[in-house]
Amino acid sequence: MATESKEYIIPDEYVDKTPAANLDQKTLNKMVWRSLFLQGSFNYERMQSAGWLYGILPGLEKIHTNKDDLAASMSHNMEFFNTHPFLVNFVMGIVLSMEQNKSEIPSIRAVRVAAMGPLGGIGDALFWFTLVPITAGITANMAIQGNIAAPFIFLIIFNVAQFAVRYILMNWSYKLGIDAIGMLTARAKEFTRAASILGVFVVGVLTCVYGGTSINVIINNGTTFEGTPVTKIVSQADLSQYQSDLYDETGALKADSVVTDLGSSGLAEITYTEYTETPVTIDIQKILNDIMPKIIPLFLTLMIYLLLSKFKWTPIKAISLILVLALVGSGFGLWPTIWP
Amino acid sequence: MDYNIIQIVLIFAVTFIVAIDQFSFLESLYQPIVTGMVVGLILGDVTTGLIVGGTYQLMTIGNMPVGGAQPPNAVIGGIMAAVLAITLDLEPNAAVGMAVPFSLLGQYGVTLIFTLMSPVMSVADKYANEANPKGIERINYLAMAALGTIFGLVVTLFFIGGDTFGQTIADAIPAWLMGGLSAAGGMMRFVGFAILLKVMISGELWGFYFMGFALAIVVSSIEALASPALIILALVGFGFAFWDFQVHTKIADSAGNVVGGSDGDGI
Repeated sequence: MATESKEYIIPDEYVDKTPAANLDQKTLNKMVWRSLFLQGSFNYERMQSAGWLYGILPGLEKIHTNKDDLAASMSHNMEFFNTHPFLVNFVMGIVLSMEQNKSEIPSIRAVRVAAMGPLGGIGDALFWFTLVPITAGITANMAIQGNIAAPFIFLIIFNVAQFAVRYILMNWSYKLGIDAIGMLTARAKEFTRAASILGVFVVGVLTCVYGGTSINVIINNGTTFEGTPVTKIVSQADLSQYQSDLYDETGALKADSVVTDLGSSGLAEITYTEYTETPVTIDIQKILNDIMPKIIPLFLTLMIYLLLSKFKWTPIKAISLILVLALVGSGFGLWPTIWP
Repeated sequence: MDYNIIQIVLIFAVTFIVAIDQFSFLESLYQPIVTGMVVGLILGDVTTGLIVGGTYQLMTIGNMPVGGAQPPNAVIGGIMAAVLAITLDLEPNAAVGMAVPFSLLGQYGVTLIFTLMSPVMSVADKYANEANPKGIERINYLAMAALGTIFGLVVTLFFIGGDTFGQTIADAIPAWLMGGLSAAGGMMRFVGFAILLKVMISGELWGFYFMGFALAIVVSSIEALASPALIILALVGFGFAFWDFQVHTKIADSAGNVVGGSDGDGI
């Protein structure tokens, strides 16, 4: 048991390494129900982690009868978690099959991180870009015509699809995990390494894809004169108006100017360079993008990593730092915000 | 506009439930097409509720909470559009337009809850370290109750206070505060990433982190690939991992043979 003063260190292995019995259908069903509340305590730091842990708790409590093991399992499942809410059962099944087998914690963690990432895109495509637009679009038009059945049709279609996906994924991925366990145990060390590679790779991907932080700082740096070539057709009589554009002080035609007499029409085609004063600005984000896009998310992640690992900061301290950074950046209404 | 106490309580209860439902539970009860009808039922004008709900629904179809982005909040917007249309006898489209400032407030409410819940994760860590499932359950229930209560109070206040009230409140919140909070919200996930790195990474794996980051820049800057980016990149990552698995199992196998042989030699 960790004491109050000492930081809890998540072990790499469970104390009780005897694989637990398979979870019964009732527990699996209970976790399907609980998975509905994946985002119950959603927050910006860990996103769905506490909801994820809430979802798999019935399974974890059955699997880890040793209290220290339950603590270890719950602790590593409280780490950052974010996946698509309707497809989370896929990750649940795989992770539970590994927990049941008492796999090494780094390997469970690596699989969890590797599995959660790609599901986001699939789920968005399936639910938010396909199912909802089609069903809600059709039923919204029915509702506008005053059809009271419309909301019910929408709810039934959406939820039948949702529960079918959740139930099937939960059972299928749990079975998949159980079947693959034999191979995984024989090659545990190599598998953990490979899964960690995929996991670390995915965290790198997420740093870029979920990292939206950018700044909007434009510094004025004087003005410049920019030349743009202008071609016009004017009457001979108006030519004198363009005297200063076409000719220099000595009366000679400027190098970039052309005057072509269009003959009997009394018109002339003239080309000259028009200079306009434009402000010069330095856009910091553009300079950063030229070094590397998404450099701010990368920098912040690495900085917080250093604070956590080398300087033993707690996550709370890191969050406070971010809050201070963000509010100072937004200027308290005293100076212009640096956020876009 | 006269409401009786039962209507006020019902509006609060409905908002409480659908505010939770926007992220948890069925994730469909909160859609304006449903809330429009329910508000219509409570206020005694189902047809107007349905029409406004349908109109608001069409507006939000392109505005889904995709990839963690927070669109103007459909919960408060949808409910208030129906309330305004019925109580003020407005055209559905006008009511929908009038509800937009309310939906912005809903977005602020969500930002606030998501920010406030971040430090609570340390409490959850403590419960996890102590193997206390009840504690984890309580945090989830409390977070949902807080979200429901904030939304319920906001909507009930507007319901009683009327349409100008929403604008007044929205104007009273300084822009720098909301700007700062949403910037902080965007950055807090880096703490989560850093925690993962701290526990996953050993010196030799850093290369894969940077490789994932760099490839993500490439893939996500191609517009056609932006939406399937994560799947494509996961396949690339899988390729590296699988290859590494094969190489290392081979090494382990041959190393095993060598060790077996050396035993016989008595080294």
